[in-house]
Amino acid sequence: MADPIEQFEVHPIPGLEFGEVAVPFLGVQQIAVTNSHVAMTIAFALVVLFLTAVTSGAKVVPGRLQSAGETLFSMIDGVTDSIIGHEGRKYFPFVFTLFTLILGMNILGMFLTFTATSQLAVTITFAVLTILLVIGIGILKHGLGFFLLFWPSSAPLVLRPVVGAIEFLSFLLRPVTLALRLFGNMLGGHVALKIFAGFVVSLGAMAFAGEGLGLWALPIAALSMTMVVALTALEFLVAFLQAFVFAVLATIYLNDVVNLGHGH
Amino acid sequence: MLISTQTDTMAAPEKSDATGGTYATTTEAESGGLPQFDTSVWAGQIVYLLFLFFVLYLLIAKVFAPRLRRVMDERATTISTAVATARSVQAEAATQAAAAKAEVEQARADSRRMAAEAKARVAAEAEARRQAEEAEVNARIEAAEAQIAVTRDAAMTNVSTIAADTAQAIVQRLTGKPATAAEAAAAVKGAV
Repeated sequence: MADPIEQFEVHPIPGLEFGEVAVPFLGVQQIAVTNSHVAMTIAFALVVLFLTAVTSGAKVVPGRLQSAGETLFSMIDGVTDSIIGHEGRKYFPFVFTLFTLILGMNILGMFLTFTATSQLAVTITFAVLTILLVIGIGILKHGLGFFLLFWPSSAPLVLRPVVGAIEFLSFLLRPVTLALRLFGNMLGGHVALKIFAGFVVSLGAMAFAGEGLGLWALPIAALSMTMVVALTALEFLVAFLQAFVFAVLATIYLNDVVNLGHGH
Repeated sequence: MLISTQTDTMAAPEKSDATGGTYATTTEAESGGLPQFDTSVWAGQIVYLLFLFFVLYLLIAKVFAPRLRRVMDERATTISTAVATARSVQAEAATQAAAAKAEVEQARADSRRMAAEAKARVAAEAEARRQAEEAEVNARIEAAEAQIAVTRDAAMTNVSTIAADTAQAIVQRLTGKPATAAEAAAAVKGAV
């Protein structure tokens, strides 16, 4: 049976390797254009193409494509507007970039053999970028007042240091959960797909070769095929949902520092 | 784990070829069994993703979002002006309908009044004409009756003359001798 983990291997495109370099924290790094780069580029290009097609001939009475684009647009606009408030428009481009790029990569993963968002490096980048922006905006807007984020003014005085410590810890865990949620969903879904698809092939081969279970393998293979179809549908949903969840959580974290002290 | 050993055996030769002396780092990184934990390919992905993210952010912030927002704002104003126009037109139509209704009521009342007047006038005229005609007819009847009386009286006088003449003629024929007019007249008078 095919190895379900093989699809996550990052390997350089032949002829596009440029040696190695030592980097602190990460160790020796390959410099190469890999299949991950290709997947990211295609996703990026698709997103740009889609948005160009949606906005270039934008009309007051929208066509089908424009309606689809506007639905995504207003969905994220609604999220930033309802969570952050009147300042939401300022942060809309960031959240929309996050959403479209993750969505593009997730959806593309359903058509290619490689899913960029199943790479921990990719999801960590998204998560760390988001949290760094949150910290940056917090310090820029409130200076040292940013640390009031961890100071629960509504809790009893005795408990405040304890609750504050817990708040701080949960803040530190935010990028971790952001990164791992997307990573885990993409990883699990594609592994499950690959395993069931592998069952179909190997059980089918077993039936036709007359070995092992013999013809009894056919119903199991058919059942696996049903699972593959069902999982594929589910994965499309997950691909969209995880991008949306990432965008919503990023907006919530942004709101914490934009409206510091108002929303607590 | 079957899976992880398989990955290791598949990945290991390639890695040892590619990275040579740093083989130890990669095996340590791959101890989780997933290729994603191989940090030797992280930096390239991270840098490239940040680049793509930045470019897409600029495109969305400077081009796509303003374009779509303009169209959506335009749509919102179009719809609100259309609704406002429709509302004012509706109000105008309502006032016009009320005015038309009042006009119709007025016209109806006018026509009713005019009809009543005309009816009364016609009735009065007809009455007057009838009375005039009646008077005329009565006058003619009276005149005719008077004429008839005159004619009858004349006829009655003639009757005695004719009777006397006739009597004279009859007497002459019967007797052969003429009767005088006075005798005949006296005889007729006594008979009539």
